[in-house]
Amino acid sequence: MTLFTSMNSLDPRVNRLPIDKVANSSPKAALDQFGTFEVFVQAKEGKPFQHEGIVHAPNIEMAYVLAKETFTRRFTCISIYVTDTRSVHVSAMTEGTNNAYENINDSGASEPKTSYEIYHLLKRGKQHIHVGSVTAGSPDEAMWRAKASLAGEKQVFNIWAIRTDDIRFTTTEDKDLWLTLPEKKFRDASDYKGGDKLKAFLESVNK
Amino acid sequence: MYGGGNTFEGIKPDALAGEDPIKLAEFEAKIDRGEKIEPTDWMPQLYRKQLIRMIEQHGHSEIIGALPEGTWITRAPGFKRKMSLMAKVQDEVGHAQLLYSAAETLGKSREQMIDDLINGKSKYSNIFNYPTFTWADCCFISWLVDAGAIVNQLANAKGSYGPYCRALDRICAEESFHLKYGHHCVIYLAAGTLKQRQMFQEALNRWWPPMMHFFGPSDKISVHTEVLMKWKVKMGSNDDMRNQFLDMYVPKIKELGFTIPDPKLKKNTDTGRWEYTEPDWEEFKRVINGDGPCNKERLEVRRIAEERGKWVREALRAPKAQYVTPLA
Ligand SMILES: [Fe+2]
Ligand SMILES: [Fe+2]
Ligand SMILES: [Fe+2]
Repeated sequence: MTLFTSMNSLDPRVNRLPIDKVANSSPKAALDQFGTFEVFVQAKEGKPFQHEGIVHAPNIEMAYVLAKETFTRRFTCISIYVTDTRSVHVSAMTEGTNNAYENINDSGASEPKTSYEIYHLLKRGKQHIHVGSVTAGSPDEAMWRAKASLAGEKQVFNIWAIRTDDIRFTTTEDKDLWLTLPEKKFRDASDYKGGDKLKAFLESVNK
Repeated sequence: MYGGGNTFEGIKPDALAGEDPIKLAEFEAKIDRGEKIEPTDWMPQLYRKQLIRMIEQHGHSEIIGALPEGTWITRAPGFKRKMSLMAKVQDEVGHAQLLYSAAETLGKSREQMIDDLINGKSKYSNIFNYPTFTWADCCFISWLVDAGAIVNQLANAKGSYGPYCRALDRICAEESFHLKYGHHCVIYLAAGTLKQRQMFQEALNRWWPPMMHFFGPSDKISVHTEVLMKWKVKMGSNDDMRNQFLDMYVPKIKELGFTIPDPKLKKNTDTGRWEYTEPDWEEFKRVINGDGPCNKERLEVRRIAEERGKWVREALRAPKAQYVTPLA
């Protein structure tokens, strides 16, 4: 095999790169890759939103666009939303039979009241799921109110609270990307049925 | 762990010396019970360090792995193949995003990871330091390199670190398309003209040695990583992974009438293990340390892309932005 000692690529576009003219500027400056946003996806009508992961983005609009591209370019979903990681208020994580709500105490009410979305982690190793919303004057108050109205019977390992106004929701126009997904069969394993071709080939060889 | 065994360094005997024995016992009990470790849980320094290293290298392998295939998008035979290959390459880059995010939850910034890749400090899967001469080389990667990656990824998806496992579940779902697509491409070459068959046979001859390297050095010469196995960071020995790959794909390659360029390759029916010519581990070491056919090209392409995008990122950066570690 030919060994390339310098940049002697098989791809002419690579050979045209101005390597000597572009200086290496590492180490990268802080936030060169931006801050992070948390992404939530709703798979089907009637199903709750679920936390899926993060994207790096310069602002919440770009975060929304990148989240669509990263998490929904193949799997169909009906809605998605994003929020700045800094907007998520997190309870302590618990283990064993300790319920996260046991650590939530009345920290007093405050004004003005606004809406908060509440998420539960019901199984360690899985992801946070949206359970409902409450009205409160602070994130701590929101968790306290959630303890009364949303805690439920199941064991909760971790609680998140996000101010509803800090979320970038999906609008009707945003759904365009998903409308064309079913046509994009080339992204799907099921579009690559080689069985018949293979069978015909094997028969022709064995003749 | 696209790249296999070289991910791990030998563990020093005093590596756990500073750890609280009670917390360590609880941590290990949790893993034994099959529970996942989450970012805010207590974990030994060694666990954190090795996981960052492994997940980061996996991410780099996806990014760099997109290059030898990406170069073929414009020359892929026909519109359909171009669409498919573009979708596949996009997936690989997307995998890198998911993996970098998982590594980030352990405390290494994305800036630092990209710097370390470009400066050659972090490794990536060695196999991508080889060139794709023809379309058939590209098909070899799509089918068989991805097949190898899937063997690793399915095993790692059962590991102990929550964010990594969740990223891998998403990745593995997409890999099923890569594997089917790759096999489809190779079936068409096999059932094609004599020239097409020859093309794939030549690609197979070129790629077999790096494919055997893919799972990392043989267990006989590998460093000891028992504690990483116990903590479900490393999910199988290099030789076990290699054996599993051979079990699954040697019959499929032979079915298409191609000859694997190793006269010693055969399955020992008594042991259930494959026997083969010992891969050239000196070459593996030489290439992974920088002296391969494409190392320089791969890193330069990444570096230039980063530098050229810099002004855009700077223009977009919000003045009030402030970094916090992502959640999960
Ligand atoms: Fe991948
Ligand atoms: Fe791949
Ligand atoms: Fe892949």
